[in-house]
Amino acid sequence: MAKKVSKYVPYLLVAPALIYLGIFIGYPMIEGIKLVFYENGGFSLATVHRAINNYYFWPALRNTLSLVVIIVPTQLILALIFALAMNKVFKGRNIALTLLIIPMTLSDIAAGLIWYSILSPSGFMNKLLINLGLIHTPIQLFGYQFHTREFIMLVFVELWRSTVTIFVIVLAGLQMISQEYIEAAEVFGAGYWTRLRRIIIPLLKPSIQTALLLRTIYAFSIFGIVWVLVGRDIPVLAGEAYYQVTQIKDYGVGAFYALLIAIMSLTIGIIYLRLTKAEYLEVRR
Amino acid sequence: MNRRILSLFLIGVLALAIVASGCISGGGTTSTSPSKTTSSPTATSTTTSKAGGKVVWASTQLVPPAERAFILNTVLPGFKKQTGIDVEFIPISYFDLSTRLAAEEKSGKVTIDLVGDLHGAMDYYDSQGWLMDLSNMPQLKGRTFISTFQKYSVIRGKKVYIPWMSATYVMVINKEAFKYLPSGLTEQDVIQGTDKWTYDAFLEWAKNIYEKTGKKLVGFPVKGLFHRFLHGYLYPSYTGYEVKKFDSPEAIKMWDYLKNLWQYVNPSSTTWDEMADPLLRGDVLIAWDHTARIKDAITKEPDKFVVVPVPRGPKGRGFILVVAGLAIPKGAPNKEAAWKLIDYLTTPKVQAETLSQTGFFPVVKEASEELPAGPLKVLAKGVAAQESTSDALVVMIPNLGKYGGQFGELYKEAFRRIVLQGQDPAQVTKDIGAQLDKLFQEAGVPLP
Repeated sequence: MAKKVSKYVPYLLVAPALIYLGIFIGYPMIEGIKLVFYENGGFSLATVHRAINNYYFWPALRNTLSLVVIIVPTQLILALIFALAMNKVFKGRNIALTLLIIPMTLSDIAAGLIWYSILSPSGFMNKLLINLGLIHTPIQLFGYQFHTREFIMLVFVELWRSTVTIFVIVLAGLQMISQEYIEAAEVFGAGYWTRLRRIIIPLLKPSIQTALLLRTIYAFSIFGIVWVLVGRDIPVLAGEAYYQVTQIKDYGVGAFYALLIAIMSLTIGIIYLRLTKAEYLEVRR
Repeated sequence: MNRRILSLFLIGVLALAIVASGCISGGGTTSTSPSKTTSSPTATSTTTSKAGGKVVWASTQLVPPAERAFILNTVLPGFKKQTGIDVEFIPISYFDLSTRLAAEEKSGKVTIDLVGDLHGAMDYYDSQGWLMDLSNMPQLKGRTFISTFQKYSVIRGKKVYIPWMSATYVMVINKEAFKYLPSGLTEQDVIQGTDKWTYDAFLEWAKNIYEKTGKKLVGFPVKGLFHRFLHGYLYPSYTGYEVKKFDSPEAIKMWDYLKNLWQYVNPSSTTWDEMADPLLRGDVLIAWDHTARIKDAITKEPDKFVVVPVPRGPKGRGFILVVAGLAIPKGAPNKEAAWKLIDYLTTPKVQAETLSQTGFFPVVKEASEELPAGPLKVLAKGVAAQESTSDALVVMIPNLGKYGGQFGELYKEAFRRIVLQGQDPAQVTKDIGAQLDKLFQEAGVPLP
């Protein structure tokens, strides 16, 4: 009898999480799918048609994908560099670590507002440059006419704000790598690059996988920073979903954009899991 | 042991489910369905407190928490003190209110005594025959309603509502900008809104500022309510109508004008929600926006800014007037008490308080006397100047219900394509004009 019950214990233990996900993720998702495909009592593609033909849809999709493609790999490289640097003991390490982690404590809206007040025409940066006599008229970074500059600023602020997410995970991963492997490699004459390529990166794969997965999902739903800094000059999918629901009151189209983000995140998640199969050296005998 | 864990767990899940279901339906406690209100304990008190009676007031206005707090903590206690009448204030959406009114009027069991809503909504409620004629109600003494509002509150020859609050969109000028006025235009022309204060003069002014300072210091909230400027200001001023002449030669002239003006408009405009911050930061010297959205700038630096009427175009000085009114539904159980509340809400003192707390402007002339000197007076003076210009071409925001968002979006799309992307105005106005026609047809509203 005791054995029989213990068979169910694992299921019971995951049940609260499943119930939670069911209520707060599953149910809204089903309602979202219904909003998109269910109209006048039956299946309909009218909402999808309306969403795809929306003036902002293709630019929003293109911008979202470009931001993900540019931001996520850059963040990974930067986070790796920072993590490798921070993994050593040096004077001022704690201060550097704190400075690096500060952006993590800010919401995207707050980060956007801070950077807007720095970079806007009458912001701190322009005032400083003018007072130093380096420029005479403010450098214009925002506005529809300055599309490329706006895009670069978005990338920059997003890098500043969220690289730390990857950094923290990668640093934790680095600190878990046993020093023995590194020392053994050194004994066999492996240089820094060889150690990095053959030992550190492979052992970091599980951490990188988690970090990439999280960051990509968040990058697909990038919104707050875009909304604050550039509005709809650079439309993005999550922003359009918000706009459709709050301004246009077209819940179906809003739900379609949200669903699209979910599908893209899911696909990328699966690809990551396949591509970055972790090598658990500890378990490989 | 395991069985005990199992039963404890099941009890936990059950408790969680009960709490969760409570939370989920908990959101509905503010539900405004008629059946719920009639059976609620507060509604029962209607019959018990005969002394002063009780007014059920459903309003789509003053719904945000801060404004609601003003009604609940200041206005209603004051009214209760004066009359002994209790009021149940029900903040409600336009959609819910029209559904509820329809249901109550159809069933003959009316529970709402007073309705607070915008002009367009009142027009609709009355067209459905849900509102009573207020022309035979006792006179409201000690106040003079501004004639424009008085005129609009009479619909199809019937006094449908009593004007309650108003809002509009104005221009704010940083006094420094007056240094760069073009020749032929004086400060007084701008402040009083004379014939010389035209859109062409505005363009000259913006150009002058740019040439003298090297900066583009005119701004619009393109991310915010800019569509109101297009359909409620430029279109009526150039074509005489908000929508009717959307793709006309006059409209093309208007778009050409805007393209010209845009050369001197701060390019960051496309990233601005509201103009108070850009004005305070000094990003712009001249801005257009909703009164509530520039109030902050005036409040913080009342000596720096002046609120002025908008310029005029070939067809007049088009501007939007948002009017909220108070109406009594047919068959309201306590219409005498409702009238007393209307009386109280439109007294100059309460009107002035409403402006200072919510940013909605008074509809009675005497209210301005109640205002202390300072920022609010600056605002009220500018708004009054705009409303009393002789060439005023007042327009209302069309009451399109769920299509309202799409309506504004189409104007913004036209702007983006014509002005920002340089597409052919004739083609774009033809395209979007057709979409606007379709939208008004679907909404069953005549083209304004």
